[in-house]
Amino acid sequence: MTQPLPLALAPAVPPSGLRRQLDRWFAPPEADSRRTTWPALMLFLAPALIIYAALTAYPVVRTFYNSFFTIADIESAKFVGLAHFAELARDKTFWAAVRNTAIWSAVAPLLDVATGLLLALCLYAGVPFARFLRVAWFTPVLLSYVVVGIMWVWIYNYDWGVVNAMLRSVGLGSWARSWLGDPNFALAALMITHAWKWAGFNMVVCLAALHSLPSEVLEASELDNCGWWDKLVHIIVPMLWPTLLNLYILAFIGKMKVFDLVWIMTEGGPLWSTETVSTYVYKRAFNWNTFDLGYPSAIAVVWFVVVVGFVVLFNLLFRRRERLEY
Amino acid sequence: MTPSALPAGLLTRWLRQGGLMAIIVLYTLYSALPFVWVGAMSLRTTLEISASHFAWPDVYHWEKYRIAWVDSNFAQYFWNSTLVVGAAVAIVTLFGAAAAHCLARYNFRGNRLVYFILFSSIVFPPQIILISLFQVLVEYNLYNTRLGLVLVYVGLQLPLTVYLLEGFFSRIPQDLFDAAKIDGYGDFEIFWRIVLPVGMPAIATTVILNFIQLWNEFLFAVVLVSEPGLRTLPIGIRAYMGDYFQDIGMIATGMMIAVIPVVIVYAFFSEKLIQGMTAGAVK
Repeated sequence: MTQPLPLALAPAVPPSGLRRQLDRWFAPPEADSRRTTWPALMLFLAPALIIYAALTAYPVVRTFYNSFFTIADIESAKFVGLAHFAELARDKTFWAAVRNTAIWSAVAPLLDVATGLLLALCLYAGVPFARFLRVAWFTPVLLSYVVVGIMWVWIYNYDWGVVNAMLRSVGLGSWARSWLGDPNFALAALMITHAWKWAGFNMVVCLAALHSLPSEVLEASELDNCGWWDKLVHIIVPMLWPTLLNLYILAFIGKMKVFDLVWIMTEGGPLWSTETVSTYVYKRAFNWNTFDLGYPSAIAVVWFVVVVGFVVLFNLLFRRRERLEY
Repeated sequence: MTPSALPAGLLTRWLRQGGLMAIIVLYTLYSALPFVWVGAMSLRTTLEISASHFAWPDVYHWEKYRIAWVDSNFAQYFWNSTLVVGAAVAIVTLFGAAAAHCLARYNFRGNRLVYFILFSSIVFPPQIILISLFQVLVEYNLYNTRLGLVLVYVGLQLPLTVYLLEGFFSRIPQDLFDAAKIDGYGDFEIFWRIVLPVGMPAIATTVILNFIQLWNEFLFAVVLVSEPGLRTLPIGIRAYMGDYFQDIGMIATGMMIAVIPVVIVYAFFSEKLIQGMTAGAVK
């Protein structure tokens, strides 16, 4: 038997990758004052583990299992093997949903993060009421999607919405349209609403990162008569890069799951132009007359693998040591 | 600096300040005016709104709040939300804190593995559990019950709660625990009489954060509850909008009823909430 190594000594020569992960998972105990009996440990952990097992682990396994069946009503299930997955590959609506979700995930975070950075820079430059504005601009983050969604359905309303009212008042009435009813604009309209809600979040994170920048660097650039644009492009953005990347990834993963806002504002319409994978799963499971829980489970499984795959990929690519919260 | 450069420098500074102020004013209007608009509409009748959508209320129809509260069932939705969210937050805080303390304080084989398992489900897309949770709840007669929704909510918020509390609890100095042990405290007294009081700031953060997130939760509430009398506020508002699509004034009042508690909580705990929400993104 190998002698347990004190935890503090173990990372002196850090083993890499999977090995390190395994070492951390099965790290042997270090000192007596940090040990206790198994019954005590179990009593602390059991409630959380039981909840996890019953309400997360079991449902995940069951969804995988369900994806091989056709479940027309809850008592009878018919085994169909991989038929759902084969059908999925041919399902045009599914691919439209994947396309829309991919656009959301890739494009919308740029808008969110850029707005957040711009707002953070304004506050960082030292304006009056900066502390108040930081709190005020964050407010939309806390609102329910139902409230935000209905608010913006009204803002985009054809007859009396704010957007069209403003266009008409400056003589651009011909540009007025039913923003959520036009397949060419509906997805963009949703992304703008999403950015409205989340810009404050990105602003707060960017501002915190700006405040933690070493002030000497910025002062040095001040002395060098560096213009504000040069300062932004050559100093601030490169130094904030890890934060910006982190925010982009957070938003990217978050947007792969986008459901609430789409469902409330457009229900995926018009003509599938805002359908996302999440709304399509919901529709197929609970909203269509073709009641079958198997097929939507297959979609959920595929998307689960894709999302987890992206998370693992991002973690490998950027080797971020910090833990991410999604 | 030459004398002639001074006015030019001053001009650019003014331009910069002007541009900055313009952005700030515009963005503040952009983020605030939708609220003001809905707030104004919540005090006007639908008839008045149809006449002019952007007018300030002539008469403040405060009675609309009473009508929404009593006649349109918003009192019921509010009560359901309070009950479900309150119970879920209480349970998830207790269970999460116990697990977080255990993981942060004790060394045992598999500690990090348990942490990883509990934490990693935070990245799962909700659909992977949505459909089968519906089945499970139906099978155990928990579909269309408040208890079922509470349990699901506990499961949903557990990863975040463990993550936030473990991070904080692990920074409590070990000396405190050694001293408590010498004084003869058992494991549970340590948890109850040291960790919980000392960890109160972090616990408060998770309580507020979980409250807001569950108060706004939509997807699971819409799938797992269909009984009108059990609807939570977001589902109630959406159902009301489905039934009375034209009644903009009353929908606005309902929206304000859902928003006001969140705004009040935010007004008191803004820093805690911002910290909690951005905990994973700030380095």
